[in-house]
Amino acid sequence: MNANKKKWIWPAIGAILLLIYPLVITLPFPRHLMIMIFLYATLGLAWNMIGGYAGQISLGHAVYFGTGAYTSTLLLMKLGVSPWAGMLAGGILSIGLAFIIGYPCFKLAGHYFAIATIAIGEIAQHWMLNWDWAGAAVGLTLPILPESLINLEFHTTKVPYYYIAFGIFALSIMVTYWIDRSKLGYYFKAIKGDLLAARSLGIDVARYKFYALALSAFFTSICGSFYAQYILFIDPDSVFPLMLSIIVCLVATLGGVGTVWGPVIGAFILIPISEFTRIQFGGGGKGTDLIIYGFLIMVISIYQPFGVIGITKRFRKKESE
Amino acid sequence: MALLEVQQLSKRFGGLVANDRIDLQVNEGEIVGLIGPNGAGKTTLFNCIAGFYPPSEGTVRFKGENITGFPANEICLLGIARTFQIVRIFKDMTVLENVMVGAFNRTNLAARAKTKALEVLDFCGLAPKKSMLAGGLTIADKKRLEFAKALATEPTLLMLDEAMAGLNPAETVEAIELVRKVRESGITLLLVEHVMEVVMPISNRVVVLDYGKKIAEDVPEKVINNEEVIKAYLGEKYHASRRAH
Repeated sequence: MNANKKKWIWPAIGAILLLIYPLVITLPFPRHLMIMIFLYATLGLAWNMIGGYAGQISLGHAVYFGTGAYTSTLLLMKLGVSPWAGMLAGGILSIGLAFIIGYPCFKLAGHYFAIATIAIGEIAQHWMLNWDWAGAAVGLTLPILPESLINLEFHTTKVPYYYIAFGIFALSIMVTYWIDRSKLGYYFKAIKGDLLAARSLGIDVARYKFYALALSAFFTSICGSFYAQYILFIDPDSVFPLMLSIIVCLVATLGGVGTVWGPVIGAFILIPISEFTRIQFGGGGKGTDLIIYGFLIMVISIYQPFGVIGITKRFRKKESE
Repeated sequence: MALLEVQQLSKRFGGLVANDRIDLQVNEGEIVGLIGPNGAGKTTLFNCIAGFYPPSEGTVRFKGENITGFPANEICLLGIARTFQIVRIFKDMTVLENVMVGAFNRTNLAARAKTKALEVLDFCGLAPKKSMLAGGLTIADKKRLEFAKALATEPTLLMLDEAMAGLNPAETVEAIELVRKVRESGITLLLVEHVMEVVMPISNRVVVLDYGKKIAEDVPEKVINNEEVIKAYLGEKYHASRRAH
């Protein structure tokens, strides 16, 4: 019981600090930075469900992100549907897409699955670039509506965005925590560990891979809808790029795959680097953050294949010994 | 009534006939040994029963139900569990987590799976190592874990594929003891071995395969003296010289 309480102290302190943060820090950039960290941490957590726990390396997650962004935006622009309903609709559509994509792709193993997801991501981006009704290459500028929670648009302050992003982030942590402790998590890890052994123990591999991808796609899609409402402009290059899929994978891998806190740590390391280099070098330094990412990944994969969280585990093990 | 009934089962890989019209029956509460030299088709037959290969011909019945060609996970759910000749453990998970994966076959609740897994670990003598990563176990313990995982799925029929290969004599004795304990708990067993010494003392019946065909089926004492079996295991020459004596 005591150990149980102890385990919750740090997340609780973290949550309180994050809740106070926008009240203490009033400059827009630090607030924006935290929103991006929440967004990418959620994307990392979502990717972690299929890529980390179930071991199916997807490099096409931009498909679900873009689906979320475009679904809520198009519903809002063409039919006047609330972005919240659009967010949910995007999530459900992404689960449908996950089924269509997963059905053939899950027959592929290892690298072949990753390559197939890249291909699907590229197809989706090119489709959107040429689809006139959905804005094609020009993209969509969201209508400016009065500030309100229902419209999910705020023009004078970032604080409401901050708390909404925090809420989505907290929800994805809770879901990940639940997966980690439940039958789903054990089955995902078993599928990652050994397919034949998993089947021999009664696991319907295809079904559980789909569950992992569906959960992952749902959360990725929600992030997409949030992003559209936050930036108020989307185009295929900003919500469907391959780079987004790769960064999401990096966030989880750097922090530590198959763990609850790994992707969170990854986002807290990577996103500040990305945002600061963007400011430092402006347009001329495009890609500097990626060079740093690449370097970090090399260091991690050579010295600590379990990610940053692997280092903390190693220390903890020494303590207990 | 037979628990498992294999009728006229054949499995071909291209031109190679790995199993040729095999009949096999396992009754409830029995230990049946399936032996034969390397390449006799034991593991193939095993895979056909457990749903890893669809048989080319013939039927497999379990508790009277035709399960031919069912996927492996459904067969496990029906109550046939198997182990692998080369252990297939989840090496990045702890021993307890490995067994819990098996236990989830009968429950959706993590707490219940954990209770069941701890029970099985205790039964198999792995309880002291429950928090170790499975990848760090010795080969004997890995085999034990492979066994524990299968047992945790709560099978009616447990099929062991060379569960004792690679063990030293002391470990083999322990493993045999474990098999006996499992039978006493009411689980029927089908053992694949190519080491005769292991199968003979514990089996009620022994089925011998050679080149994909069933060449003998009898109680162990009789199988040992069966001419065909001696020929298959020791070769024609030895067989001939034995006769000359």
